[in-house]
Amino acid sequence: MKRIRYAKVLAAAALVLAGLAFILCKSRGPVRYEGQFYDCFDTVTTVTGYAESQEDFSRKVGLLKEKLTWYHRLFDIYHSYDGIHNLKTVNDAAGKEAVEVDAQIMDLLLFAKEMYGKTEGKLNVAYGSVLSLWHQYREEGQKDPAHAKLPPKAELEARAAHTRIEDVVLNEKASTVYLADAQMSLDVGSVGKGYAVQKLAEYAREIGLEHALVSVGGNVCAIGGKADGTPWKVGVENPRPDSGGTYITAVDLASGSIVTSGDYQRYYEVGDARYCHIIDPGTHMPPDYFASVSVQAEDSGIADALSTSLFNMGFEEGLSLVEGMEHVEAMWIGKEGETRYSSGFKVNEEK
Amino acid sequence: MKKNDVILAAALIGIALAAFGGAALYSQLTTKEPEAVVRLDGEEKGRYPLSEDTTVEIRQEDGSYNILRVESGKARILKASCPDKVCVSHRPISRQGESLICLPNRLAVEIENGAESGIDASVLSR
Ligand SMILES: [Zn+2]
Repeated sequence: MKRIRYAKVLAAAALVLAGLAFILCKSRGPVRYEGQFYDCFDTVTTVTGYAESQEDFSRKVGLLKEKLTWYHRLFDIYHSYDGIHNLKTVNDAAGKEAVEVDAQIMDLLLFAKEMYGKTEGKLNVAYGSVLSLWHQYREEGQKDPAHAKLPPKAELEARAAHTRIEDVVLNEKASTVYLADAQMSLDVGSVGKGYAVQKLAEYAREIGLEHALVSVGGNVCAIGGKADGTPWKVGVENPRPDSGGTYITAVDLASGSIVTSGDYQRYYEVGDARYCHIIDPGTHMPPDYFASVSVQAEDSGIADALSTSLFNMGFEEGLSLVEGMEHVEAMWIGKEGETRYSSGFKVNEEK
Repeated sequence: MKKNDVILAAALIGIALAAFGGAALYSQLTTKEPEAVVRLDGEEKGRYPLSEDTTVEIRQEDGSYNILRVESGKARILKASCPDKVCVSHRPISRQGESLICLPNRLAVEIENGAESGIDASVLSR
């Protein structure tokens, strides 16, 4: 009889321990990891997500890096790579010949042309000749701040004559791009990153990242919410952190993207004035409307393209553009820190 | 069950609960204090508690460097070899998830175990 009693006691103890183990495991849940990599789109990419182990997560982040590197190389206008025709190849052949390109370049340029129409030219990937001049003066100005200069107005005007989107000739059937003006060049800086992030998000799902948050240099995209089903919380940075807090507000993101264009990260100084890296195709100068504009959209490419465009136009014009599009919302932060929102922009109250 | 069995079972449950409570208490006590984590090219290079004022020079083989200063519970970059100085002009950081980034030097300083800001990522213009 004694044996049976002990068996009962042991069984009871085992049950209790099993129960405790269960509670312990449950309270821990899946493990959250963060990974980082450089070299893509001249910025740092941060991936936050869940995995079985650190090894599993690192492997997935490695795959994402491979994918993003591929897009970076395709859209690069400064470097050539063995075995691929990228945008530099297209630019180098301007006025000479059509270049056969990867389907992704064709897709991006078709999308960019569509956005040119929607934004009435505020988003222009054929604006490379003007942007490269600014790029040159900005680099020189950063290297030698005491002698920083602005590009001469006459030269900006002269270059602006070679920025017609109609001269970007796309042949979908042959998958070729031809720049009909020898002095023009493509620069997809305002849309290429967002387009690539959208493709990256789709790829993340394919490799089993069901709940992840990807930030490519502040271009943020959610793949599902957090593992517990709640949305990610994304802070919209205060463009003037000397006055006020780190964040102006926060938004909940369970899917889709949010992208910001602002005057406060990349700029150079000439005398006492700051000149940011975004150039308005209307004036060929950095715009002076806002400190930043953030756009939330299902598609990261649209969010990227629109944030640049909205940064380049007044509030009323931008608002009517946003209100005319589905699943797109925007937030404008003015030079004095005043905030304005499109009608459906949802702010997280607690921030 | 006999009385002795009940006592034994109760004792076992008691021991299990005590072990569980102890483990929970231990994990509470060892919850780490806020620290600045330095990563070069994604790889962790050092951790510095925000509670101790210190200056750290992060120098790389090619001569590039960033000087990290931890003071009054905040971290910032004092000096750096990078051409753009974006990291130097960044405001001091102290809250969970905030970061200082130096792209040219592939350096990231991030706050871990910091005061919970509840923010998972920040959207910003870069
Ligand atoms: Zn730096």
